[in-house]
Amino acid sequence: MTDLSQYLPILLFLVVALALSSAFVFLPMGVSRLTGTYKPTEAKLAEYECGFPAFEDSRSQFDVRFYLVAILFIIFDLEAAFLFPWAVSLGETGWIGWGTMMLFLFELVIGFIYAWKVGALEWE
Amino acid sequence: MIQLVSFYIFASIVIASAAMVIFARNPVHSVLWLIVAFFNAAGLMVLIGAEFIAMLLVIVYVGAVAVLFLFVVMMLDIDFAELRAGFVKNVPLGLLLAVVLAAELVLGIGAYQAGAVALGTPEAGAATVSAAVPNIEAIGGLLYSKYVFMFETAGLILLVAMVGAIVLTHRKSHGTRGQSISSQVQRRPEDATRNVNQPVGQGIEL
Repeated sequence: MTDLSQYLPILLFLVVALALSSAFVFLPMGVSRLTGTYKPTEAKLAEYECGFPAFEDSRSQFDVRFYLVAILFIIFDLEAAFLFPWAVSLGETGWIGWGTMMLFLFELVIGFIYAWKVGALEWE
Repeated sequence: MIQLVSFYIFASIVIASAAMVIFARNPVHSVLWLIVAFFNAAGLMVLIGAEFIAMLLVIVYVGAVAVLFLFVVMMLDIDFAELRAGFVKNVPLGLLLAVVLAAELVLGIGAYQAGAVALGTPEAGAATVSAAVPNIEAIGGLLYSKYVFMFETAGLILLVAMVGAIVLTHRKSHGTRGQSISSQVQRRPEDATRNVNQPVGQGIEL
C-alpha cells in the first residue's frame, strides 16, 4: 500500500486553489448584489465585439488537420506513458523486457517514418 | 478520516460531473465536464493506491483524449435546430436503444449476486504482485514479462490508428514550401552572395 500522506500537500493545495478561485468568482458577484450595483439592462448584457455587433456563431468548423495533429500527439503520448513502467522495472524484467520495448518502439517508429514520409507532420 | 472525506468528495463530484456531461446542452460544455470527471477519477485512483493510473488519467485522458474530444466536437459542426427537428422521426429508434440499455442495466444489476468478485483476493491462476513494490514497478514487471503479447498488440493497434488517421485526414497540400534540410545545409555563402565594388553615382547590374 502506498503512503497516501505524501499526497496530503497536493490535496491541501487543491482545496486552497478551489477556495481562492471560487472566492474570486463569487465574492464580487455577491458584493455587487448586496451593494445594489447589480442592475442588468439589455444593453449591459449584450455581447460587445469592439464596436460592431457579434455576427458569427462562435462554433465554426475546424480544419481536419488539427485532428491529425491531436491523434499523432495521443499516440506518442501513450508511447511515452508505456516507457515509464518499463524504465523502473527493467531490473526485474531483464533482457526480455528490454527486447519487448524495442519491438514496441520499432512498431511505432514504422508509423513515425510513414507519417514523416507522407508529410503528415508538415504544416503549410 | 481525510481519506474517507476526500473519497466521498471525489466520488460525488465524479458522479455529478458525469451527469452534467449528459445533461449539458452545449457539447463543448459536456467535454469540459468530462475533464472534471477525469480529474476526480484520478483522485479516486490515488486513494486506492494506483498512483501510476492516476497520473496516466491526468496526462493521457485530460491532456490528450479530452482535447481530441474537443476537436471532434468542434469539427462536427452540430446544428441544434436540425437535431431537434429530427426528434420525432427518430423516436422509435431512440426508444429501442433506451429499452436495450435498460435491459442491459437490469441484467447487470441482476447478475450482481451471481458471481461475486472478491476484490483484493487474487484467483489461483492470476498474476500476483507483492504489496511492497511501488505501483508503477508492479505494472512494469507484469506488462513486460507476463503480458508481452498484449503489450505488443497495443503497439500494433497504435500503429494502425496512426496510419488510419493519416490516410483518412491527410490531404496533399499544394504550393507549400517544405524544408529540405540537406540542400539548406549544403548551401554556401558563395552560392548566394557576391561582392560588388560599386562605383559612386551609378546603378547596379543585377
